[in-house]
Amino acid sequence: MSLIIDKIFAHSTKLVAISVLFLVAWIFTVLFQHSMESMQALGFDFVTETKWAPNLEKFGALPAIYGSIVSTFLAMILAVPLAIGVAIFLSELAPAKLKSPVGVSIELLAAIPSVIYGMWGLFYFVPIIRDTFGGIGISMLTAGIVLSIMILPFMAAVTRDAMNTTPDILKESAYALGGTKWDVIKDIVIPYAKAGIIGSFILALGRAIGETMAVTFVMGNVHKISLDLTAPATSIPVTLANEFTEADTDLYYSSLFELSLLLLVISFTIISIAKFYFLRRTRVA
Amino acid sequence: MATIVDITEEKALEVKNFEFTYASADEPSIKKLNMPIAKNSITALIGPSGCGKTTLLRAFNRMHDLYPGNEYAGEILFKNRNILTSKEDLINLRIQIGMIFQKPTAFPMSIFDNVAYGMKLQGIKNKTELNDRVEKALCDAAIWKEVKDRLKHDANGLSGGQQQRLCIARAIAVEPEVLLFDEPTSALDPISTSGIEELVIELKKKVSIIIVTHNMQQAARVSDYTGFMYLGELIELGYTEEMFVTPKEKLTEEYITGKFG
Repeated sequence: MSLIIDKIFAHSTKLVAISVLFLVAWIFTVLFQHSMESMQALGFDFVTETKWAPNLEKFGALPAIYGSIVSTFLAMILAVPLAIGVAIFLSELAPAKLKSPVGVSIELLAAIPSVIYGMWGLFYFVPIIRDTFGGIGISMLTAGIVLSIMILPFMAAVTRDAMNTTPDILKESAYALGGTKWDVIKDIVIPYAKAGIIGSFILALGRAIGETMAVTFVMGNVHKISLDLTAPATSIPVTLANEFTEADTDLYYSSLFELSLLLLVISFTIISIAKFYFLRRTRVA
Repeated sequence: MATIVDITEEKALEVKNFEFTYASADEPSIKKLNMPIAKNSITALIGPSGCGKTTLLRAFNRMHDLYPGNEYAGEILFKNRNILTSKEDLINLRIQIGMIFQKPTAFPMSIFDNVAYGMKLQGIKNKTELNDRVEKALCDAAIWKEVKDRLKHDANGLSGGQQQRLCIARAIAVEPEVLLFDEPTSALDPISTSGIEELVIELKKKVSIIIVTHNMQQAARVSDYTGFMYLGELIELGYTEEMFVTPKEKLTEEYITGKFG
């Protein structure tokens, strides 16, 4: 009797686990099917064309791709040094009394729903950017800043965890040779935790590039490639969030699907790279 | 009171009325300890787990200062000064008193960079000097032949015994006067262990050595002096040859004959 129960249990968990694989394949298939029309009609032009004018049946995804890349890049430039600083402080420098309250509040920040970052950005950052840098305030720059604030806590927390894996005995060995705190951080802790740190950056990059709610409020959904960072812009998820309800023609609808397929592929690639780094780390350790 | 043999040689270190209390502990882990350490010889510290031998060892290079709240009392004299004062320059002290740990601790860098690390910390940048001193340290640590063709390789690719000899090379490259060994062979196989032991004996020509060990045979094989510690006190310090044959204290005898420990 108990053998049968074991078997049923094993098979049912197997079923659930395999269904996850199906889910991924299913999502891919649906996106692919719906993108077919746009792929056939537009071909490779879809990713090189800069004009997005649904009323003229022109669908160029380049401005959205450009916006996704630039806003994410801005966010990374701003967030990486801050995240490393916070992580170094928390793992190596902070007195025990500060470690846990600061650590916990960083984890709380990471749990804030992104729509709240978006609203906060719209009401707080947009006026600041407008007054400081000119323009209307809704812009690529604002999106980059809001994104950086959103990914900072996650990056800092994972980087800190990676740094905490450095064995005490390794750090002590460097101190025993006459190293200062700074020497030990720079030569031992950071190189030791490198894989984990890079992994956290790539995961954060993946989050930033697919982020929708935090940037939809502040980016502007303007399909135009502009080198001026204070000009409004768009990104793939921003376009999707803004335009699905307006898609009145089949080709419009299909090109939005192709855009989402593109985003899925980009995110997938990024996460795979990050996983590769993390896995390599755990195998060594 | 402890039985302490008269040391006729010059002393490398002298512990006087030393007490040590860990942060958040009510009682000191080491109580009123007096102990001379002879120069250019090997002093082994033995005793059951928790007797304070590693705690004492880590006081010699002020390793305890890395963690807040630990307290020292009494004196440890090194070159006629008390190294337990707050004025002591810890960076400089740790250059002169090196340490080898229970497990090999190769840094995440190349073999060459591992050995050069201590010198680089001191600001030595001259390539020829670095090359010469790295080679000399690796030779002195009896590992030069094995690694000379792969100095640029990652040090973590070496075996455990090789890594431990690399750590010794790294420690002697900065030319310390005292070397502290904290159970240096506890993670190694018997062959690597005897390699390290031979090396330790060879090293005493240049440095004074204190070695903490759980292995009484090891203490008997390598050391000139042996100190037996129990419950935070030094029970007996004597010539190794004499102590393992005719211990003066009853506790020492019981410990080395395996009655407790």
